This record gives sequence, C-alpha cells and structure tokens, in this order.
Amino acid sequence: MTTPLSLTLNGQPVTTAAEPQTLLVHLLRETLPLTGTHMGCDTSQCGACTVLLDGRAVKSCSVLAVQAQGRSVTTVEGLAPGGAALHPIQDAFIACHGLQCGFCTSGMLMSAACLLAEHPQPSEAQIERAIEGNLCRCTGYVNIVASVQRAAATLNGGAA
Amino acid sequence: MIETTRFGSGAAVRRVEDPALVRGEGRFTDDRVLPGQTWLAFVRSDRAHARIAAIDTAAARAMPGVLAVFTGADLVAAGVKPIAVAVPFQRPGGEPFSVPPKRALAHEVVRYVGEAVVAVVADSRAAAKAAAGAVWVEYDELPAVGDLFAATAPGAPAVWPEVADNLCAEAQHGDAAATEAAFARAAHRVQLELVNQRLAPVTMEPRAVLAWTEGERLVFQLSSQMPTAVRGGVAATIPGRTVDNVRVTVGDVGGGFGMKTGIYPEDIVIGFAALQLQRPVKWQAERVEDFLSAVHGRGQASRAELALDAHGKVLALRVRTLAGVGAYPSATSIVIPLLIGPWVSTSIYDIPLVHLRLTAVMTNNVPTGAYRGAGRPEAIYIIERLMDAAAREMGLDGAELRRRNMIRPGQFPYKNAMAQTYDSGAFEQVLDQGLALADYAGFEQRRAASKARGLLRGRGIATFLEWTGGNALEESVKVEVSADGFIELTSATMPMGQGIATSYVQLAHDVFGVPPEKIRVLQGDTDRANGFGSAGSRSLFTGGAAVHVASKKAVDEGKQLAAGALEAAAADIEYRAGRFEVAGTDLGIGLFELAARQPGGRFVVSAGATAGGPSWPNGCHIAEVEIDPETGDVQVAAYASVNDIGRIVSPLIVQAQVEGGAIQGIGQALCEQVVYDRDSAQLLSASFMDYTLPRADTFRAFKTRFDESVPCLTNSLGAKGVGELGTIGATPAVVNAVVDALARAGQGRNAERVQMPLTAEQVWRALRGQYPPALALPG
Repeated sequence: MTTPLSLTLNGQPVTTAAEPQTLLVHLLRETLPLTGTHMGCDTSQCGACTVLLDGRAVKSCSVLAVQAQGRSVTTVEGLAPGGAALHPIQDAFIACHGLQCGFCTSGMLMSAACLLAEHPQPSEAQIERAIEGNLCRCTGYVNIVASVQRAAATLNGGAA
Repeated sequence: MIETTRFGSGAAVRRVEDPALVRGEGRFTDDRVLPGQTWLAFVRSDRAHARIAAIDTAAARAMPGVLAVFTGADLVAAGVKPIAVAVPFQRPGGEPFSVPPKRALAHEVVRYVGEAVVAVVADSRAAAKAAAGAVWVEYDELPAVGDLFAATAPGAPAVWPEVADNLCAEAQHGDAAATEAAFARAAHRVQLELVNQRLAPVTMEPRAVLAWTEGERLVFQLSSQMPTAVRGGVAATIPGRTVDNVRVTVGDVGGGFGMKTGIYPEDIVIGFAALQLQRPVKWQAERVEDFLSAVHGRGQASRAELALDAHGKVLALRVRTLAGVGAYPSATSIVIPLLIGPWVSTSIYDIPLVHLRLTAVMTNNVPTGAYRGAGRPEAIYIIERLMDAAAREMGLDGAELRRRNMIRPGQFPYKNAMAQTYDSGAFEQVLDQGLALADYAGFEQRRAASKARGLLRGRGIATFLEWTGGNALEESVKVEVSADGFIELTSATMPMGQGIATSYVQLAHDVFGVPPEKIRVLQGDTDRANGFGSAGSRSLFTGGAAVHVASKKAVDEGKQLAAGALEAAAADIEYRAGRFEVAGTDLGIGLFELAARQPGGRFVVSAGATAGGPSWPNGCHIAEVEIDPETGDVQVAAYASVNDIGRIVSPLIVQAQVEGGAIQGIGQALCEQVVYDRDSAQLLSASFMDYTLPRADTFRAFKTRFDESVPCLTNSLGAKGVGELGTIGATPAVVNAVVDALARAGQGRNAERVQMPLTAEQVWRALRGQYPPALALPG
C-alpha cells in the first residue's frame, strides 16, 4: 500500500508515492531517481546518504520517505544554486583534492553545506564535529577539512 | 626530456574525475538500473562450521515477487565449478597444499559465518531480502576454530578434514644454520612477540554486481580493481562460459584498497542467475555482508628476533610467523604472508642473514586477501619494532641504530637476503630530511611541554621501503586520435579513487600539448582492454609509462601521415601543441584535422612499456603521540614524513595518497580490529558500531615532503609506486611512539609487550603494568 507524497525536491515541487516503510534514501535513489545520494552502511553510521531536510543535514537512511511530506529536500544534485555549474563547496572539494573515490563525497558536501549555513566562519573543531558522522576511507579527512575552510572563505567573499 | 606545462606532469592540476563526482553524477554500479532488472539477496551461514542437513526453500519460493531460489546443490548440479587455487607451496613436512573447494554457494558444509548458502532472486530489493529471510537451513553444527591460535592448539578441530592440523602451506626462507650461528656470536639479541591483527579493508562503497545477457554473451558491471580476472574466473567456473562470451565492465569504484581484486563467489552466483533467468540481476552488498564475506587483511602473529654485533650492526633476522588465512584461502591469502612480506623483511637495512619460517593456518573465518600494503605492512612492522627494541637494549637512539644499518648509495643495485634487487635509494638522505622535518632534536622540549599539561609524550620512527608492481610489470595503451577533436587513451589499469586517469591525462598532455579536456581516458571494459588491473601500486609506473610511450608513437605516426598530407618528407615534419608543420614553412595541419582525413576519421596506435623490475618507494615517517595517563587515550600529536617515490606526476594526488594512507595505518595502530569469538568463531565486529574507523578528529596535521632526487631506474617514467607507502609507514611509527611514551613512563622494556590496536584500555592497563599474555607460537 503506497501513500501519496508531496515534497519540494531541489527547489521543485514533486508528487510521488511511497510505501510506509520506505526510507527516504530509497525514495530518492530508486523512485525519483536521484543516485547522487549513496548508501554505505546499514546502521546509520557512514553518512554517505546525508541530504538536507528543511536545510538541516539528515541521514536519509534514518528518515522515512513519508516524513518528507510537505517538506523541502535538497540532495547533491540540487546543491549548486540555479544555473550554476558548481556550488562553492563543490568547487572547493575539487580545488583542494577533497575527494578520491567520491563515494562519501555527496554526504560530506551536504554536511558541509549545513554547517556553513549555520556557521559561515567555522573553526576547525566545528568542521570536525560537523562531519563526525561522515566516514571517508580515502582522504584521511585532511583535504576535506581544507575544502570546507576554502568554501567558507569563498562564501564570505574571500578569494576563491 | 619531458616538457612540464601548466597541465602536464609535475603540475598540481584539478582532477578530471571530480566534476561528475561532486555533482552526484558518478556511475557506481548500484546507480545503474536496467529494464527488467531483478534483485538478488543471499542467505548467509550463521554458523562458523556446520554440515548443511537440509534446506527448505518452499516458503521463500511462494513469496510475492520471487523469481528463483538457488542452493549450492543446484549450482553443483548445473556444473558450476569451484574457484581453483594453486600456490607454489606445500604443507609442513612436504605434503601437498590442500584447501577446501571454494564454491559460489556452500555445498554440504559451511566453514565461516557469512558464507553464502542460498541465493534468492526477486523483482525488487525488498522482496528478495524478505524471501531470503524465509529460507530455512538446518545445520548440524561442527566444532569451530575462531582464530589462528585456536586453530593451532593441541587437538583443535580441523577446518578441512584433509588437513588435520589446519596448516595448509608453509615457507622457509634464508639460511637457518648460518642465522643460528650469527645469533650465537651476537653481542646483542632482542626478541618480540608481535600480532598484526586482522583488519577489514572497508571500501565506502560495498561490493556491487550487476549481470545481464546480450544474446549469447554474459555481461557484468561490477565494482572491481581487476575486471580481467573476474572475466577469467567466470569463464573457469560457469559451464559454457569462455573469455569470449563474457564481458566485464566497471563504472566508478568507491574505493578498492585491494579488497576488490580477483573474483568473489558472489560474482559467479549473479552471473549464473542472470543466465538462468535471462534477465538482469543485481546484488548490492549491505555493509554487514562486506564485513562478513569480503576479504580481510593482515592477521598474523610472529616471534621476531634480531642479532646485532657490539656496534649495533644487525647480523641476522629470524622470524616465525603464523598467518590465519581463513577457511577458503586463495593464492593471494597464501602468497601475501609467505612470499610478498618476506621480500621486504630486511627493508632498507643491509642485513646479510635471514631465517624466516611462515605457516598459513586455516581458520573458520572469512579468507584473508589483499589489503593496502598486503604483506609489506606486516614485515615492516616487525623490523621497525625490532629496531626500536634493539636501540633500547643497547641504549642507542633509534635513528642512530637505523643509520648504522642502512644500505649505502654505493651498494645499488642491491640484492637483499631474499634475492630481491633494489634499483635505487638514498635512505640516509631521506632519514636526515625526516629528522629535520620532525625537528627531532626539539623533542625533549615538546615532551616537557606535554608533561606540563599532564600528558606523556612519545616519539616513534619508521624508516622503510616497500615493493610495488604486483609482479605485473607490463602494460599497453591504445591511443586513438579522432576527427571529433578528442584523444582517447584506453588502458586495462583501473580507477578506484586514486586519480589515475588524471595522471594519464597529464602524461599524454606532455606529449600532445593539447588542452587536457581534449584527452579522455577509457578504463574498465574487457572488450576494450585486458590486463592485471590496478593493485600493488603499479598503475602509474607501468600504465603511465605506456601512456607516455604510446602517445609518442602516435605523434610519430601522425608525422608520417602529415608528411603525406603536406607532400613533405616525414623528417621535415615538426609537431607542437596539436599541429604538424613542415619545418621552416607555414605549411601545416592540425592534429584532429589530420585524423579527419584518415579512413574512419581517426588514427590509432597501440604501444606498451615493460618495467625492468618492481619499484621500491621508501620513506622516513616520524610520529609523536600524547597519552593521557588517566584514561590511556592516545592522540597523535605530530606526524612528519619524507618520501622517495621517484618522479612525481601529480603532486596533489601523491600527497593525498601518503596522508590518506597514513590515516589507515594509524587506524591499525590505534583502533581497527576484526574480532571473532575464539570458540564460536562468530564475528563480533560486523558493523561500524563495532569496527572503529578513524574519523575526522583522529589526526590531520601531517607534514609531508617528497625527495624527487632518486628516480626509479627500471621504468621510463622514473616513478615509484605511492598508493600503499603511507599505510605501511604509519603503523610502526605510531606504535613505536606509544611504546616510547610507555617506556619513558617507567614501563621500560615491558612496554614492548603491547599489541595493536593500542586502545585506551590497553594503554591504561600497560601504564599499570598489565600486558597481553604471551602468544602460543610454535618453535
């Protein structure tokens, strides 16, 4: 039995339907289908599936699809502001070599986007805390933190 | 001489892989859905060792959406063969190597928790999973051995009846008698018992396989570092399949680290199901399935001894190792501990004598396989721990003892005690740079500052080399210049996040001089290119060398074609930045215009390169740690490394390889550990809640430098492999630092008894004189 569902996805109204037990990550990946959001574990530990729900970073494997009813969901595909090729955070990850295999990257970007919306000039410790729930096996987080710092500088009007 | 330009080799460029990945437009296997696609879920053994008494699939077959259910007996009846295993070793005493047949699905007996027993195919992911839960398997439980110590205890149950003592292979290297004599005359002897714990490689993308048929052909897309090996494995196991009617493709790979090398039983099942159903079949491993059934790495226990003369010169190295290789060891499981590790056992030191005895022990665990470093981390950990122990024994500084034993520049090419030949190295020069970078001399001040904050500070050093190339030293590359304005490079090496395509574009740009966006790299399709794939840090110095050679050959070919087009002698044609010109004239033709004039609108050149040997990257890694004596918590406080990886093509990439790799090595030192219950052999660390990965707050403040003055002499690029170097150096550097801190805190030589991972509990206990028990190792 499916439940009809209306939400705003990456700024656009979407009408769809989901089973009551369907997770938001599965709605995104399989129904809509936006595959930029990844699944890296079964226990809500890895953070690869992080999206923004009403602007807050959530692990979409821990949210039921029906909980998105009437709310706004932003995925990595919707991160770049209308028409732009890349959001400054995406550009910073490229510039600072903040990704290797790219599998955790979508979740990292969304956690970073949430952080920078709340704390435009985050300290290193704030960045660490913001991505504490996002696991990366390739980079050792070195260049991820540098990428977030660069993005903050860009968003604050500093040199790109 | 290679011209270095803004986008060429040596320049810090943006990776060509990244724009798609940061937009969420990657092509990971699970992102692809084919029309009519089905889903496969596995029923996995929840017993470590049992006879399969009965399997009832009726309830599963009756569930909605279920299309097929396969058991091991079904696959045997269909003629699916086990995965063959051959190794160049025998059992102790000379009996033939023997391991249980590794089947796609277990048949009659299961031998580890997580072994695939039944496969269920349904029209949705949820339906397949639900039906897998409805399959009922009755087991007659057998006694199990949960680790290598349980497997070698007197009277231990056998994993495989044909090998009653569980010892499936053994190697002895070196000269036992001469080594014994050296120990007898030595002024100093040190001995350590060292565990190199089992680790889970943990790629962030778990394994994924999609298979379908195209006419008579069976086609795969999967997440793999070695598509050609998968093709061969499928052809060798599924009846009617040959390398010609199997095609293996690979999209984006979300991390490899050695875990995605070779064929897995699951690959065969997915292919078999696709053939049976004549519909696409997908399996996406859940995280728990990768912990349970993807290969683990390391898993060794050693007694290691060093004999030294009165001046600290090492006379001999003796090591006795047991390697717990799991229930169905592959050739890789055996060769890593018995051969690859021993090759680097003497590292960068001039050690004339070794006696190494290494035994592969079957256990009721998932098989071991390649994990970043694969044998070299274990060997380097042993020698670097021994070096510190010997320095402590003799009252010498660890760096000084290492210096006294290093191979000197005049000794190259240097053949080590395992008959491996190092082409180049400047180990003392790298050490000196490492000591300067780490401000080695300023340690006491930092230690005093830590002490003022109530913390114990320790310093650890690892000077080391490693073997790279995977013993697969040949690669060829196809270069296609086409009228549509692109140069396409086709290679059998594989991308898995390391950025190899970017390095190839830089190397081709060196030769062609066209903008990098005009150069494309095609990888991961056995219909286009076949080879060893990417493992053992081999891709750049084999495949990259081939890119360089093939690009130059393509330009030479272009000169011939341009000579015809311009009615000039080929010797008069010059090439520069996308254009051929007749020397001294304004006559010329563009590279892509020239391609347009050829039949089919393109010209194609294939060429290869063969390295003359492995490359031997090396480094000096120095870590400092702070320990909170109240909690035992260890923090890495500083980490400086100087690395000789020969010539550098992509500076950003190599630095990130060393630092990202070092975090994995720190993970082994401080937190990561696969834990099986010794008696039940149940896996206790099967999720991210139980298996501790480094997180963003682990450590990041690396100081990383490269010494490019010592190019590799056995490949045309002069490059040395970099992918595993950081992982290999970090583990001993950090553990040595913790031991140093404990020793300085009053534990003295006792501190050497700690075993990885150095969790807060273990360090807290060590500070109170409580250490792990002695290992039960044979003589």
